[in-house]
Amino acid sequence: MSMTDKIRDRLETAFSPTELEVVDDSESHRGHAGYQEGGESHFNVRIRAAEFAGRSRVARHRAVHAALGDIVPRIHALALDIDS
Amino acid sequence: MTETTNPAHAKIDETVKANTVVLFMKGTKEMPQCGFSSRVAGVLNYMGVDFSDVNVLADDGLRQGIKDYSDWPTIPQLYVKGEFVGGCDIITEMTLSGELDTLFDDNGVGYDKDAANKIREANG
Repeated sequence: MSMTDKIRDRLETAFSPTELEVVDDSESHRGHAGYQEGGESHFNVRIRAAEFAGRSRVARHRAVHAALGDIVPRIHALALDIDS
Repeated sequence: MTETTNPAHAKIDETVKANTVVLFMKGTKEMPQCGFSSRVAGVLNYMGVDFSDVNVLADDGLRQGIKDYSDWPTIPQLYVKGEFVGGCDIITEMTLSGELDTLFDDNGVGYDKDAANKIREANG
């Protein structure tokens, strides 16, 4: 399973999102710190789920980090766009 | 904040309490070494904010210690008056929404309001 699919799986399970987009953006960081051949280093996630309503930005990010668990330290960068 | 005996934490705690605005980043504000650190330092520089920068690449204990200290897995990390504000995504969102202006206003942090408005106009 690709890292993109793993990220999507964990977020689907944790939040039952109404919208979820996971993009492996590694190629656009080619030559930058953390880039590795084959990608799977930089990800952009856009997620919309009801349970983020009324939570602070930091709390939303922490919830996503927690759901992703051991994936977070294995990738170089994770850009998050989170809303309810 | 996690309660541990990590020696890096005492130093971090001292740093965030001694400086009103502190950015833990990769590289320095004059020479950032990561695009995400560069973006946040760039916003603060452009807004004319007087902030301290801490280069986590200069110290491995600090690089991991700051992540444990804030329970936040990525760098950069911005602190205002000892409170963790967020990383690159959050600072970007708060800049565009005007929340960062409010945070600075509330904490007596000087910044150039016109510059902040220019960022919003250019990214509106």
